[in-house]
Amino acid sequence: MSDPSTIAEPTAVAPAAPGVPRRRRRGSGGRGLVITGAVMLVVMLLVVALGPLIAPYPAAQTSPESLAGPSAAHWLGTDSIGRDVLSRMIIGGRSTLLITVVAVALALLAGLVLGLLAGYLGGVVDQVIMRVLDVLFAFPAFLLAIAVVAALGPTIPNLILTIAVVYTPRLARVVRGPVLSVKRWDHVEAARSVGVGEFTLVRRHVLPMVISPILVETSLTLSRTIFTVTALSFLGLGPPPPDPNWGGELSSSRQFMELAPMNVIAPAAAIVFATLTFIVLANGLREMLDVTGRR
Amino acid sequence: MAQVDVPDVPEMAGAPAPLLQVRGLTAEFTSRGQQVPAVNGIDFEVRAGESVGFVGESGSGKSVTARCVMRLEPEGSSISVGGSVRFDGRELLTLSEPAMRDVRGKRIAMVFQDPMTSLNPVLTVGAQVDDMLRRHTSLSRAAARRRTVELLDLVGIHEPGRRADDYPHQFSGGMRQRVLIAIAVSCEPDLLIADEPTTALDVTVQAQILRLLVRLREELGMALMLITHDFGVIAGMVDRVYVMYHGDIVESGPVQDILTSPRDAYTRSLIDAVPRLTATGRGR
Amino acid sequence: MRRVVLVRLAWAVPILVGVSLVAFLLVRALPGDFAQQLAGTAPGATPEVLQEMRHNLGLDQPIWVQYWDWLTHALRGDLGTSFTTQRPVTSELFGRLGVTAELTFIAAIMAMLLGVTTGLLSARLRGRVDWAVRGLNGFLVAVPNFVVATLIVLLVGLYLPQLSIFSYTPLTTDPLANIGSLLLPALSLALAISATISENTRAAVLEVSSQDFVMVARAKGLRPRTVLGQYLVRNALTPVITVTGLEYAALLGGSIVIESIFNIPGMGQLLFDSVTSRDYPVIQGIVLLVALIVVLVNVAVDVAYARVDARVSYE
Repeated sequence: MSDPSTIAEPTAVAPAAPGVPRRRRRGSGGRGLVITGAVMLVVMLLVVALGPLIAPYPAAQTSPESLAGPSAAHWLGTDSIGRDVLSRMIIGGRSTLLITVVAVALALLAGLVLGLLAGYLGGVVDQVIMRVLDVLFAFPAFLLAIAVVAALGPTIPNLILTIAVVYTPRLARVVRGPVLSVKRWDHVEAARSVGVGEFTLVRRHVLPMVISPILVETSLTLSRTIFTVTALSFLGLGPPPPDPNWGGELSSSRQFMELAPMNVIAPAAAIVFATLTFIVLANGLREMLDVTGRR
Repeated sequence: MAQVDVPDVPEMAGAPAPLLQVRGLTAEFTSRGQQVPAVNGIDFEVRAGESVGFVGESGSGKSVTARCVMRLEPEGSSISVGGSVRFDGRELLTLSEPAMRDVRGKRIAMVFQDPMTSLNPVLTVGAQVDDMLRRHTSLSRAAARRRTVELLDLVGIHEPGRRADDYPHQFSGGMRQRVLIAIAVSCEPDLLIADEPTTALDVTVQAQILRLLVRLREELGMALMLITHDFGVIAGMVDRVYVMYHGDIVESGPVQDILTSPRDAYTRSLIDAVPRLTATGRGR
Repeated sequence: MRRVVLVRLAWAVPILVGVSLVAFLLVRALPGDFAQQLAGTAPGATPEVLQEMRHNLGLDQPIWVQYWDWLTHALRGDLGTSFTTQRPVTSELFGRLGVTAELTFIAAIMAMLLGVTTGLLSARLRGRVDWAVRGLNGFLVAVPNFVVATLIVLLVGLYLPQLSIFSYTPLTTDPLANIGSLLLPALSLALAISATISENTRAAVLEVSSQDFVMVARAKGLRPRTVLGQYLVRNALTPVITVTGLEYAALLGGSIVIESIFNIPGMGQLLFDSVTSRDYPVIQGIVLLVALIVVLVNVAVDVAYARVDARVSYE
């Protein structure tokens, strides 16, 4: 998937000439985007969390009206064996979002630990960790995910673990950067020389620097994960039935797509909505927190 | 502050009109809905072959004035210009853009302040002189190339033939400014505007560049409009001086008169600001 | 300059070794092996037969021996033999690689054309055009390529049913039909990436426009065409090209799904099939090859970037 992080933060044409200040305005448009993204996120989470309670029909309930268009009874129509599309979308979001959130949380944790270790300890530890991560970086994330999931078997824990491993390197890198620069700050050196404990140093100086880029990168990772999870389930490597999931629904809708276009549009819209939520959040956070992009 | 109304050059009957005659020039920036005046209705003139200095601190409006003469508004900013700028009898402010493009470079040329950022990084130095020649003259490719090398030699670049194929990053600041001067004089303009040409350079290089400008002026007979914040640069370079402050011309006159007996307190402070190496410290 | 290239390439070597190791171990660490897969389908597959098969394929050797064996052969260009088809892996890959390469290449060109044009228009025209383009870009980036592909298939099915889009024609059979059959798949891949390129172009053009040398170009009285082409675009394009290079990994990854949707016999399809059948040599070959391409592209991007930097910043 095209990397959304390169969107708002392009690589520089020319490093700013000496004496010419780089123009960066903090905050103005960012807040609006963050609010929008947050609202979208809350709506999505609510709908999905309340899933079975608000879905008009059980996801697995079939009916004789198959491939029906939108109607009062079925707002988004029905699929090939008469199941309500709207309900399947609502319920389907659960596994998708569950895998996404948990996987990214794990990746975040691992990334924080590795990044802090690499950045803080520096030297050999840093080199080793970074080289190992570089190796992981050499694989297109999706390729790696497919290979592992296809072979290990597409269970939810496997999916979560694979995705977490795939996205850890990037998060580790994002953490490492600020850590490396903060380490060299004069007042950190000064504090250290007076005997301030390392842990306190990390907590008070390093972590605040790291939080902003981490927030942005995590949002981006969430959007990429949605892509990976839905793509995997599209290929049949997602959470196994009977639970519906967006990617799988999109794939199976292809069979009778001309007869029931809504079967295609519904999961497509759901996937786009989820991805958009995190991208909007990421861009808003980036503008608001004045985070400079990589390279 | 109102402009001091002193005729700086006696109007002789039958004397040719000034090359550049500016009357009532105003320039206003629109920033966040507010009008910010930069130039408040100034009058000045430059005669053919004459060398005129514009002195003032940053924010005095001197650079804006130069850009107005060339009609070079910075991209993306909104600036409204009023008044009259007559060059060689033609009113420039109402000239069509294509016609103005024919004036720029060919009749009026400009050298900017920062040589480090004024050259296109992806074109060779020779190509940047060349595209100027090809635009304004009818020289063939071979002839333009020869002229390019000549020009680079003229401004003091060693091994001009070889260096013409080098890229800007292979030149020092002083060298780049020489190249920019070569570009500016390449089509033998009637008027050369130099906007703080030495400010970004080392002190030793500054003197070299100024000497270069003097020499070129003599050889090509151009008029020169030298803009600077440093009176020390002006002395020996120009015939007349205009002193600008907050968008107005507060004093003007022959350079010697100004230097020896400035009438305006601001002018005096500018002159005093020039460091002098005398045993008795500050003084004239 | 040359040093930068050499350093980058030098670093690429241990990375590639690591990559080969991961590719190898990844595959071997997976439960079930080729012999077992076959046991599921073929009758008469007694444990003894399976064991003999394993021995023949060298699967009963210690894992380090297997790795070394494979690596040394790979360095000589021999990636082993496919378990399923008994043909050399390299020839299996070669044909498929060409198809995927063609697909991703066309997609890259499309993305650049679309992206640069809209980005340029957006930056120069500003106002409503800018707003519209940016809005569109923001949206496009959120639509995964397989969703685009499925929607395209839907639209074609509904409104242009006479168009046959699942018929891939090899290049050698009919070049025109070949390219035609790859257009829609390439478009699916290209759209999201074109949005990224568009934004980058726009930002680069805006940034370059405010640079001194552009003002100097105008002061020289050069024609707008010259200023745009030689001064503006030539400088704005460099970051765009580097970004496109970086996106190439995404293109490769994305092609896997797209190939499956449009029935294109590329590496993605091969990967899928060989994973299902546990055809180790093929899987290893693909993973290694793709990683190799990505690493090389990244090195190229690094080098290109270093070149731009050298030009622009004065040492």
